[in-house]
Amino acid sequence: MKIIHTHRWLVIYALLLWGGNSVGAATSREVIAEAMLASNDREKIAIIDTLAGLGDADLAALLAAWKRDELFVFSDTNGSKTPVLIPGGQDAFDTAVPQTILGQVILVDGSGEVVVPTRDTMDRVRHNNRLRRAMKRVLDLMDLGSEAAGKRLQAVQTIGFSRDLDNLPVLEARLAIEENGQVHQALRQAIALVQLNHAEPVVRLAAVKELGKIHSLSSTDALTSILADATKAGDQALVAAATSALREVEEHRSVVDFVGTIFRGLSLGSILLVVALGLAITFGLMGVINMAHGEMIAVGAYTTYLVQNIFGAGIVIPAFGLSIGIPGMNLEGWGYELYFVAAVPASFLMAALVGIALERGIIQFLYRRPLESLLATWGVSLVLQQVFKLMFGANNVQVSSPSYLSGNWTVADIVFGWNRVFVIGFAILIVFGVWLALNKTSLGLLIRAVMQNRSMAGFMGVRTARVNMLTFGLGSGLAGLAGAFLSQIGNVGPSLGQAYIVDSFMVVVVGGVGNIAGTVISAFGIGGIDQVLQQYLPVWAPGLGWVPFFGGFLQNLAQDSSVFGKILVLAFIILFLQWRPAGIFARKGRQLDE
Amino acid sequence: MKFSKLLAVGALSLSALISSVQAAESVKVGVLHSLSGTMAISETSLRDILLFTFDEINAKGGVLGKKIEPVVVDGASDWPLFAEKAKQLLEQDEVAVTFGCWTSVSRKSVLPVYEKNNGLLFYPVQYEGEEESQNVFYTAEAVNQQATPAVDYLLEQGYTKFYLLGTDYVYPQTTNLVLLEYLLSKGVPIENIGGGFRRDGDGDVISAGKYTGFGHTDYQQIISEIKQFAAGGDTAVISTLNGDTNVPFFKEYAAAGLSAETCPVVSFSISEDEFRGLPADQLVGQLGCWTYFQSIESPANEKFVADFQAWLAKSNVTGLVKEGRVTCSPMVLSYAGVYLWKAAVEKAGSFDVDKVRMALKSGLSFDGPGGTVTTQPNMHLTKNVFIGETKANGQFEILEEFEGVYGEPWLKGKFK
Amino acid sequence: MIAQPDNSRLKTELIIAGMIAFFMLVVMPILNAQGIISNFTINLWGKYLSYALLAISVDLLWGYTGLLSLGQALFFTLGGYMHGMYLMRMIGDLGQYQQPIPDFLVFLGWTELPNFWKPFSSFPFAFGMVLLVPGIVAGIFGFFAFRSRIKGVYFSILTQALTYAAAIMFFRNNLLLGGNNGFTDFKFILGFDILSATTQRWLYIATGVTLLGVYALCRWLSKTKFGLVQRAIRDGENRVLFSGYAAADYKLFVFVLSAMIASVAGALYVPQVGIINPGEMVPAKSLEAVVWVAVGGRGTLVGPIIGAIFINVLKSWAARAFPDLWLFLLGGLFILVVIFLPGGLVSLPERLRPVWAKIRSWFPSRAVAVTAPADSDSNPTKLN
Repeated sequence: MKIIHTHRWLVIYALLLWGGNSVGAATSREVIAEAMLASNDREKIAIIDTLAGLGDADLAALLAAWKRDELFVFSDTNGSKTPVLIPGGQDAFDTAVPQTILGQVILVDGSGEVVVPTRDTMDRVRHNNRLRRAMKRVLDLMDLGSEAAGKRLQAVQTIGFSRDLDNLPVLEARLAIEENGQVHQALRQAIALVQLNHAEPVVRLAAVKELGKIHSLSSTDALTSILADATKAGDQALVAAATSALREVEEHRSVVDFVGTIFRGLSLGSILLVVALGLAITFGLMGVINMAHGEMIAVGAYTTYLVQNIFGAGIVIPAFGLSIGIPGMNLEGWGYELYFVAAVPASFLMAALVGIALERGIIQFLYRRPLESLLATWGVSLVLQQVFKLMFGANNVQVSSPSYLSGNWTVADIVFGWNRVFVIGFAILIVFGVWLALNKTSLGLLIRAVMQNRSMAGFMGVRTARVNMLTFGLGSGLAGLAGAFLSQIGNVGPSLGQAYIVDSFMVVVVGGVGNIAGTVISAFGIGGIDQVLQQYLPVWAPGLGWVPFFGGFLQNLAQDSSVFGKILVLAFIILFLQWRPAGIFARKGRQLDE
Repeated sequence: MKFSKLLAVGALSLSALISSVQAAESVKVGVLHSLSGTMAISETSLRDILLFTFDEINAKGGVLGKKIEPVVVDGASDWPLFAEKAKQLLEQDEVAVTFGCWTSVSRKSVLPVYEKNNGLLFYPVQYEGEEESQNVFYTAEAVNQQATPAVDYLLEQGYTKFYLLGTDYVYPQTTNLVLLEYLLSKGVPIENIGGGFRRDGDGDVISAGKYTGFGHTDYQQIISEIKQFAAGGDTAVISTLNGDTNVPFFKEYAAAGLSAETCPVVSFSISEDEFRGLPADQLVGQLGCWTYFQSIESPANEKFVADFQAWLAKSNVTGLVKEGRVTCSPMVLSYAGVYLWKAAVEKAGSFDVDKVRMALKSGLSFDGPGGTVTTQPNMHLTKNVFIGETKANGQFEILEEFEGVYGEPWLKGKFK
Repeated sequence: MIAQPDNSRLKTELIIAGMIAFFMLVVMPILNAQGIISNFTINLWGKYLSYALLAISVDLLWGYTGLLSLGQALFFTLGGYMHGMYLMRMIGDLGQYQQPIPDFLVFLGWTELPNFWKPFSSFPFAFGMVLLVPGIVAGIFGFFAFRSRIKGVYFSILTQALTYAAAIMFFRNNLLLGGNNGFTDFKFILGFDILSATTQRWLYIATGVTLLGVYALCRWLSKTKFGLVQRAIRDGENRVLFSGYAAADYKLFVFVLSAMIASVAGALYVPQVGIINPGEMVPAKSLEAVVWVAVGGRGTLVGPIIGAIFINVLKSWAARAFPDLWLFLLGGLFILVVIFLPGGLVSLPERLRPVWAKIRSWFPSRAVAVTAPADSDSNPTKLN
């Protein structure tokens, strides 16, 4: 046994340093063919595991084909079974030519004819999470020598978690030559984690100290169990080391939580800001209570969906008995993923157009009756929701996230999602844009004039009807932009807008009507408080048992801190407005009624 | 007065005459689902499959020689309205049986109406159990036909830590309560169960799980908690999140760098039908557990799927979506429910609810798309349970099958 | 506006109201007992009448005082919950678990009744709570809101936020009020079987009588000096303030009163529909009630009743006849009424009078000189 292991790591060592070919008895092809014929998952996994560290160039390709459902076992009429590869899998049975795994030749039957695959003769080789984890283990060991740092990082982490002492030499070998800082750190953690299983107490002690030193968050479980074992065994030195290591890890965790909470607060604040900015214009500046604001957001989100389909395979929209077919451009890869870049302006324009139609059709009659604009626009919102249902179905629609919006950066265990970073950046951008439009353009001047005093502006020769229309269009367009972004983080469905309408009104009211700066501050304030409560309520709640009468109730808040955080935010808002009824930045004036 | 009385009697006898003429040819059957409002997403599919089943049965001569005449009403996702419509079906339309309801609250809302009028309701959607009415036949999955087999599978796969997450309503609360007891009984230590606990006055744990509201959109914090919980490896998330909130959850999950290989999510509320609105490419490899998957390879299922598609193509029901349709477990359980009712009526030789109930309790079997299902004396259904793994095309790859699992509604305290 | 009608018109209204009340409260129950009107119909109308009561509470605030509250659904539901708690206690041990405490408490792991549930076994206590709880909530909220002079749109948005927060709160199972499922499966009320036709008929009558009583109360209130101040606040709050009236106190009183009316409506609604859950509390429900008032005609007392019944009948019918299109119908109706018929359905005869006069003028023999009514009150002044 020992000899085999030594042999194995020597081979791995050779692989790592020279990237040479396997010198083992069986090639990857042979092993995989054997695994494909194995009768159950357990055997398959055992066979795949023998490949650890021995894989050659074929291995990755074959395992990838397995995961793509392209591997089959062909059963001959006489009962013999042959493992084969069919590019394209089951869907390509009509056109594909099966290839044997072992000989890499076209599969022929007894009479020399090329075998046409059918469902009866071809048995697909299945795979599940456990099998794929086994494959990953094998691939990870190969990946240790990979060029890409990201691949190496993942590989190191997985190998570390397996805590298999056999892998220690290979990790140490890699540590000696690793240049990437992040991977280097991960290697130290992985080595220490593996060493926790070491037979020598000295090595274990050193490993515990090492884990504390590098603040390894993922080692909490391992450290806790070591601590328990050490306490039981009465190993004082180890107990002390594990306790202090755990303390260091917890300290690091609280920093990660704190910074993470700030980031999440910023990102939620940005979403609230993007969602409310349009309302800050239609409600804040114009005084129209637009209950259909949420539906303007949905218009933006559905436009994104449409653009996505136009870049893809096209779409057929049933509308009132008609079917409108929109052909697609059938793009793939990067061309397709660029759809979002086109969707952003399209969402703005589409929502702005709908907004302008709404203003001309209904709202222009209601400028003097703000409360009634609430009722009429609520009617509009019901109608629009039904329109969405008839056009796109009652179901949510699928909007895929382009790859440049679906990854993350991880810095010292804090995750910064690209979509979130993007939303924050975008929020800053549009606030700046709106500020420019209102304060530095002539249209902005007219807008401000009309909003301050409609009739006076009219007397001065401003075409107030046109300005009203454009302002409402701008506000609705901004809502459309919000829709484009919400499609990246949540549902796109007929009731999308309803989820955000109360929040948007809160943000605008707290910020102070007619004040963009107030809206910004209130959005980030609300977002921040919400995330702080979500993060820390479960921490604080268990300590609240002493509160008379409510103690038991408060202690159980940990379970639904996300819900209760929201309730508390609303309560804060209501209390805040008692104190400052006109919001953070009240509009100054000597009028009694506005 | 006399005249009006005469008129009334005349009208009554006339209507009785008409209804008796109709009765000779058809039997009225109620369909009670939300066709508008928030639940329309899910429930419209059940209406469609029911209408398909009725057409299929009518084409073969109906039930006891009578054609099924569906009375379709819209519950509009409004729970008091469900009770009103149920009254209308039972008292005015006098239907022989009703197929309907999706949410637990809608079932709870109509339950007193069915009990008072001695009606019969077939309920087809996974539910929390803890109920056993003589006027409801639960073709639905009980918790031991979804959650506990899924946990068995995960334990067998070598997972050791479990994070419980759900929407705050009865089904997730009960499921997590049962799972807590079940996991502890399987020797999983309590610190390996994530999501938080609820304690009673003495500080003893009485329930587990993390809960979010309906339509919750911001899962950043919960995902970061899961990520830390799962950092030690071998962790699975057990999710009872309800339809809509799955999109923001899985988008956030993917953005945080979690995947099915590092920390799989097993969801009990995502079927093929829900997949139509989910980003399927981000869910590949995640697990599901139902008593039917469209991907089951059996002649009965292949015929069922093909027949349903053919019916969709030629049907002219208003508001019917024809493209991209799939079949899923609640649909098949609705389908099986109709056939079981038909079998019970034929065995009883009557539409009378008491006689039909007796027949149902006697253990009828139906070979359906999901294999053989058998009725039980406790008004539940024995059926096969499948564990599946999602693929990019929105279908499930079946990984494991448990045959003939008995439907047990009373599970609280069973595994203690 | 018919806010303060002259005597002859008031008389007509009262006579018509009396006739309708007689038909609804005496004739319909008798016909029901005879089996001519079905239990289903009585039950449905009982529901409509409690909605009408809710609509009056909205109108008292909006039509008469100029305060558009989007929190009436909250008070309605609170009333329902208070009464529901009594009804839950009356189930006794007939629930699914056959335990002496409500089912949802059993599955949450409780073995005995939490303290705040205990007094609800008494009907008088529950009834007191129906009035008190919404009254106190409205009182506290109103006290602060009116003191800081929150009005108009801000008042609407704040009441909406309050309702929204309460709805999320009630959806939580840990609040021990049944979570999303709320309360169902009631068995007895005051010792009577709640599902029997007789009980349901008496509940219907009780709802009708309450509606009549509230109608009479509001009618009387609008004739008093109080009613005058109320409408003055609506039309020009600052002038009222400068005339030395404590406008905030008046508003607070009306707000609390209308919260109680809404709450009673909810308490009557629950035993008739058999369920109360937080879904009744979502912001859209408040808006719906406001729309009934707008369509019926605000600033009148019959308007809200007509609006509530008209829209709900329309909804019941259209939701069955045109399941795909009825939201267009409803949404379109709101838009049209707001733009073209600000006085609501009750102003329709008034609006049609010139048309009617024109038609009559085609028949000279019967022509009567019709002058426009010199009713200063009919000018819809600033009503927001």
